[in-house]
Amino acid sequence: MKTLVFVFVMTASLAFGSEYEEAMKAGIKDLYAARSLNEYQQVASKFERIASVESAQWLPRYYAGYAYVIMSSLDSVAENKDKYLDLSKQQIDKAAEIEPNNSELLALEGFNHMIRVSIDPGSRGQEYSGLSMQALNKAVAIDSENPRALYLLARMSYGTAQFFGGSTEESCQMLEKSLQLFETKQPASEIAPAWGKNQALGMKNICQ
Amino acid sequence: MLRQFTYLSCLLLSLGAFSQSTITGTVRDEAEEVIIGANVYIKGSYDGASSNLDGNYSFTTSKVGKQVLVISFIGYRQQEVEVDIEGDLSYDFVLVEAINKIDGITITAGAFDSGGERKRTILKPLDIVTTAGATADIASALNTLPGTQTVGESGRLFVRGGEGRETKTFIDGLEVMSFYGPAAPNTPTRSRFLPFMFSGTSFSTGGYSAEYGQALSSALILTTKEKPDQDRADISIMSVGGDVSYSKVWERSSLSGKLQYTNISPYFKIISQDLDWVEAPSAIEGSFMARQKVGKNGMYKLFVNLNSSNLVLNRGDIDDPSLITRTGVANDYIHINNSYKNILGKRWGVQGGISATRNNDNLSLNSDAIQTVQEGVHAKVVFTNDATEKLTLKFGSESFLRKAEEEIEGFGLPSRTNITWNEQVLGSFVEADYWFSNKLVVRAGGRLEYSSLPSSYNLAPRISLGYKTTDNSQLSLAYGRFQQTPGDQLLRINQNLGSEKAEHFIASYQVINNGRTFRIEGYAKQYEDLVKFDPGNQFDPAAYNNNGDGHARGFDVFWRDSQTFRNVDYWISYSFLDTERNYRDYPFAATPTFTSKHNFSWVYKHFITKIKSQIGFTYSFASPRPYNDLNGVGFNTGRTRNYQDLSFNISYLFKSNIIFYSSVSNVLGRDNIFGYEYGQVRNNDGQFNRRAITQPAPRFLFLGIFITLTKGNQASQLPYL
Repeated sequence: MKTLVFVFVMTASLAFGSEYEEAMKAGIKDLYAARSLNEYQQVASKFERIASVESAQWLPRYYAGYAYVIMSSLDSVAENKDKYLDLSKQQIDKAAEIEPNNSELLALEGFNHMIRVSIDPGSRGQEYSGLSMQALNKAVAIDSENPRALYLLARMSYGTAQFFGGSTEESCQMLEKSLQLFETKQPASEIAPAWGKNQALGMKNICQ
Repeated sequence: MLRQFTYLSCLLLSLGAFSQSTITGTVRDEAEEVIIGANVYIKGSYDGASSNLDGNYSFTTSKVGKQVLVISFIGYRQQEVEVDIEGDLSYDFVLVEAINKIDGITITAGAFDSGGERKRTILKPLDIVTTAGATADIASALNTLPGTQTVGESGRLFVRGGEGRETKTFIDGLEVMSFYGPAAPNTPTRSRFLPFMFSGTSFSTGGYSAEYGQALSSALILTTKEKPDQDRADISIMSVGGDVSYSKVWERSSLSGKLQYTNISPYFKIISQDLDWVEAPSAIEGSFMARQKVGKNGMYKLFVNLNSSNLVLNRGDIDDPSLITRTGVANDYIHINNSYKNILGKRWGVQGGISATRNNDNLSLNSDAIQTVQEGVHAKVVFTNDATEKLTLKFGSESFLRKAEEEIEGFGLPSRTNITWNEQVLGSFVEADYWFSNKLVVRAGGRLEYSSLPSSYNLAPRISLGYKTTDNSQLSLAYGRFQQTPGDQLLRINQNLGSEKAEHFIASYQVINNGRTFRIEGYAKQYEDLVKFDPGNQFDPAAYNNNGDGHARGFDVFWRDSQTFRNVDYWISYSFLDTERNYRDYPFAATPTFTSKHNFSWVYKHFITKIKSQIGFTYSFASPRPYNDLNGVGFNTGRTRNYQDLSFNISYLFKSNIIFYSSVSNVLGRDNIFGYEYGQVRNNDGQFNRRAITQPAPRFLFLGIFITLTKGNQASQLPYL
């Protein structure tokens, strides 16, 4: 009987411990399957709910922030684009309070600023492309093997080089490195960020 | 027994884990419209859902008993309700809109704001730099906005029938004395500060906040950048000189410095000038900025600007051109600006600082000389309090001390003469912004000012409101009273003159939609207590009084479109002005010489990706200005020809960090006349000789190369175009 109680308590505590992971896994699955604004909103809300309970975890806020960046690029109304980027930035900032100097969070921040530039490059280029480069460079400096940071940095520097007629070679090499890392490097855990490979592959076409 | 109990409770627990309740409901707003995407959940759990496209939500939970159901959605107040879960539950929410103080309705009457570029701004800081004909001068660029008057021989901002001195400039809330650099008589001046320094520009053509005083017509409110983006060095090589600057950025602080030398003489040697220059204008300038974050939200800024300039030219006498007056203008300037702002707790904000200015002007006319030294200290503190969701209070106090000293040598005076006068202005203001809804905001407040010249108190009420007519359009109204100490050329004779006063009434309608802006604004301005004097006795203090008055009324129209044509941004301004004054030496009410009835400008910017260049032009038109024709009948009855200018500029992005820039003013070479100067005595025909006040040269050509150096040369200069 003792054994039974022990086993039960163990199972219960394990089950309890993984409630977070299970919820995250389900959320991540929904996130990668989402296509419409409404689907992304559902999943962003879900991560926000998890975040409201798990105040020591940065990943729920990371994913909510990521979902909002995608929503910003999906929405066609300029004002909504800004609204979603603001929501995303709020989540990223809160996550960075929990986990400062995290390469993944910095990469996401760089991504956020990158989308901000794309809404109105003429007037936002100066401020936000600078902020984006800054965050992405820092992300790479912290983890030189973060494929997402490398891919985003490649994308930013490619755009700049292309506009000014400079060489895009360096950017394409960086992309190549990120693609290799997407192949070889396993995410730190089942719930660690793993997106970006398809986007990077999409950019490969321009580099060839 | 104990074992069995444990077993049983474990069993119950595990059973409990499987008893699920479904929570459902609908989310609507007060207008019964469904809300999509609201997050409904049980507090302290993961259990929840977002409302779908029909506004419905549904989720299952294993929680039982008393729980708190939370709903949150951006733009609406969060709600929490206590529910008792004993099975399936249905709960419908009605969300109440939250007041959005930042992105909701704002007061726009009279103001052209350019805060962060994400707000609905009309003119961005970058626009100033890229306006043709402005050559990066803040005042020149703002002169393409409605409500301003083209006064070509001055270069200052003349707003809605006001003189140049009726516009005051504030940097980080603190007044800047001598905002404009020195210039030869009847030639345009430039503002001392470069637009790159500022992240925000708010140009108010009337009806502005009670926070600002001592300006009858207009306030130009500039906010310095929070921090430079990155470590960078900049080098500029220009046809008029060059500069180097460097910025170093740390995690919580930054330092920037700049050194500039300009000398126009090489340019004047190549391109002939209408003026007889002995020493072409030259200047050396240094500026320095330090920023330090304080705590989590605080920021301290120190800004220092030092400038020394010199110019000498020969001017012939109107009656006898062989009589030459050697005119020298030398100026030394220092401005120090300390500002601090922070957030105190959840609801309070504080902003304040101290600025000090010393301006030393040396004017020499042959052997006669006037030296004017002005020293001023401005101290100010402002508190803001978000008292409730709908109410924001702002109040503060300031002290402005000023000393002016004039030393006159020559002019037939037996000995050196000194005139000194001191001025103290103490001001306090309180202002409340109240949002009745996200559609209607009212700002009401007042300003109490004590002025020592002469000792007097003035109360200036201000009120304005904004009403959103549709999502993209709004109506604004503003009323206010304003006062200002008379100018130094009057105070040097009589220091017992009272403040001059103005009253503004403004109504405006504005639509901003998808890259297009339309605004029309009507105004009426009443001047009272303007200083008058008897021109026959202009050195006698007793000949001065505050009995003058005047009015200005008109309307301004603005249209900007950056949407219709790809890579093209243009704006058109038109101002109509009807004004008369009976002041200074005027014998009766007359239209002042610095005003014109119609002002029009068209600014066009086109980025051509193929050649990586931005081209731009500015066309300005001003209808004839009055001048006092000594040979004619009446007062101020003469009319100049109309003013026209077409300026052109091009910026070429050679590399991401190198820009070539060129601009030409008055491409068509039109001979613009701003007025006439008259001789002292009648000539043989019984007429006074006259000389036209014109441009110093038909055109001004500017060439420059701007180089930015950063780590890895990643700086994109693009927006500096």
